[in-house]
Amino acid sequence: MRKLLAATLGILSAVGGFVDIGDLVAAGQAGARFGMAHAWVLLLGVVAICAYAEMAGRIAAVTGRAVFDLIRERLGARMALVNLVASYLVTVITLAAELGGVALALRLATGVPYLLWVPVAGIAVWLVLWRMRFPVMERVFGLAGLALVVFAVALFWLPTDWAALGRGAVAPDDSGQGWGAYWFVAVALFASTVSPYEVFFFSSGGVEERWSVNDLADARFSVLVGFPIGGFLALSLIATAAVVLRPAGLSVDSLDQVAHPVVLAFGGVGLAVAALAFFAVTFGAALETGLSAAYAAAQYFGWQWGKRVSPREAARFHTVLLVSVLLGVLLLLTTVDPVTLTEYMLIISAVALPLTYLPILVVANDRTYLGDRVNGRALNLLGAVLLVVILAASIVAVPLAIGTRMGQ
Amino acid sequence: MRIQVSQELLDRQLVDRDGRLIGKVDDVEFGFDADGVPYLRSLLSGPGVLGQRVGGRLGRMLVLTAERFVTDRPMAPLRIPYALVMRVDSAVWLRVSADELPTSPVEEWLRRNLIGRIPGADRASG
Repeated sequence: MRKLLAATLGILSAVGGFVDIGDLVAAGQAGARFGMAHAWVLLLGVVAICAYAEMAGRIAAVTGRAVFDLIRERLGARMALVNLVASYLVTVITLAAELGGVALALRLATGVPYLLWVPVAGIAVWLVLWRMRFPVMERVFGLAGLALVVFAVALFWLPTDWAALGRGAVAPDDSGQGWGAYWFVAVALFASTVSPYEVFFFSSGGVEERWSVNDLADARFSVLVGFPIGGFLALSLIATAAVVLRPAGLSVDSLDQVAHPVVLAFGGVGLAVAALAFFAVTFGAALETGLSAAYAAAQYFGWQWGKRVSPREAARFHTVLLVSVLLGVLLLLTTVDPVTLTEYMLIISAVALPLTYLPILVVANDRTYLGDRVNGRALNLLGAVLLVVILAASIVAVPLAIGTRMGQ
Repeated sequence: MRIQVSQELLDRQLVDRDGRLIGKVDDVEFGFDADGVPYLRSLLSGPGVLGQRVGGRLGRMLVLTAERFVTDRPMAPLRIPYALVMRVDSAVWLRVSADELPTSPVEEWLRRNLIGRIPGADRASG
């Protein structure tokens, strides 16, 4: 029973770590514009994040060191510093987008303009980071995030043409919007499923909870169940958008449209559940991105980090945490539209993907760290193929963004 | 004991007796014994030496940022005699406790002037 409970909690954390503002926006846009034509991208993203999170978790359990810690040993002080600067910027912009998502979810629930919610969201995120116990915080937001299942339920409630949905998924076409726009959305959706902060967070959490080799099976299990559940929730976001928004010709430029299908199906109750789910996933992701930004810096410089020691003993770590949240709030207070910010965030994350994933693959093959727990041949083949996909997404992201004017 | 400095020491995490994180091995220092044979004298840690090793504009920026927090410049690194190293695996483990080593000046400054002033700074949240 205890074991079952522990497994459930691990899965909850994984689900919470998967869906965020990037998924809400990218999945909503993909469904509204191209129907189910991007379902395969989501599937590929889930396979990629499972494979690489498993490696990162194994590295953390065997060596007791988190990802960024080892990135510096492998890349050298200089390259790793360049990597740190780039990863930090991407993560802080992601944090800003998540805070924007929290503010939009609160606006959806209350009608009060989102800009007023931005400072509130920033303070609340920082307070939770300062005070709340780590496992509790992961589980609460993971559990509340499961409310997204309302989108899957809505599919059954609405007059869904399942055969047409299935056909759209297996035979993708560009819906007359041009293949440039199709691939632009594909890259954004892929980047949203394999956000680097998920790996930083996952491996740092493993070190913080002192995983050992004995915890490997549990860690692997939560990854292999939790991330696919997250992927299923994202898929149901695409599907509801395909069923409701696409025929009506609606595009997604705020979270209201993403929630529209459940409002259509369940009215005010649907809106409340959707707003709760949006709040939970974006707030949870804001916590994770904030921590990830501080983890990366602390692990590069070797500072004391984590929530097991008092903030006084990890003053540099907590300073970076505080500054990151502050930067996120300031970025939003420039009145940049949070959904537009999310679109740009996804493109720069796509560019930065190899900075995280290449070193993980290298370390996961290093016997001096992992002994005989290095990658097997099958996982290496999968990892290499996925790395080619990641590199391709990274290379085409900016040309696609410019060529299609952000997917127009 | 044979050890490859660049492979097994540089950029590795320094950990004290109790598992607390001290910093990274940012550089090393060699000395000469009575017969003129070089030996590994100490491990160096701190943004000053790290910035020098990184070099270029990025390295200079790192040093300048760190130096804003200290009064005596150039910044002295934390110098750990190699004899204090207990073992080297995925981290460099020391025989001493962090309390016996000087605290990083940047950490000290932020603790005194920022983080330590926020209510609840003394409690770990787990």
